[in-house]
Amino acid sequence: MGIDVLFKIAGVGILISVFHTALKQAGKEDMAHLCTLAGFALVLLWVVQLLGRLFTTVQDVFKLF
Amino acid sequence: MKILGSLLIVVAGTAMGFSVAARYAERPRQIRQLISCLSALKSHINYVAIPLPEALSQCTSGIVGPVADFFRTMSLLLLTNGWLTPQAAMDQALIESKQLVLNQPEREILAVFGANLGGMDREEQHKSLELVQEQLARIQYEAEKLCEQNVKMYRYLGICSGLAIVIILV
Repeated sequence: MGIDVLFKIAGVGILISVFHTALKQAGKEDMAHLCTLAGFALVLLWVVQLLGRLFTTVQDVFKLF
Repeated sequence: MKILGSLLIVVAGTAMGFSVAARYAERPRQIRQLISCLSALKSHINYVAIPLPEALSQCTSGIVGPVADFFRTMSLLLLTNGWLTPQAAMDQALIESKQLVLNQPEREILAVFGANLGGMDREEQHKSLELVQEQLARIQYEAEKLCEQNVKMYRYLGICSGLAIVIILV
């Protein structure tokens, strides 16, 4: 599960960079920035879930309530 | 099964990108053909002085594709329905030829051209055709610039969006 998500995030990163260069070459810099932002939000969505799980695990391990 | 589905998505994204890019590449070509047809039509009106339906069908000689079809449809409409004005025939032909990838500015110029066609004497028609050609040449220049920029971008975007959808779904 863990390594899978890492690869997914890496793939999205590569694709977003290609999107960014393609749009920038076509002179649509605003769209390029918007695209980067969308990719960032997408990855953040995944990462936030994982972080939430990490925090609950930490809570469980140290018996913090 | 998963691999097959993702392959299909990537192929569909690529096809979408390439079709949009082809549309952008096709537009300057069609405008160029339109200009050459109009210059042939101009000489047919000014120096050969044949009736409009014949002139319209003859000015497409040497040109194939949607633009030639458009002029031929217009000529046929004028021949079969004698009560149609050239403008109405042009509107009808524009609706009927679905293959034309012309945008709003070209269509407006064509509408002006159709309104002046066959309504005045030779000199005035010559002038209006020259004006239309000039405007179309400017639009062609703009369309070529747009084409250069956008064709590559849409191809990349098609492939990449297919891949992105696959990654998100997997």
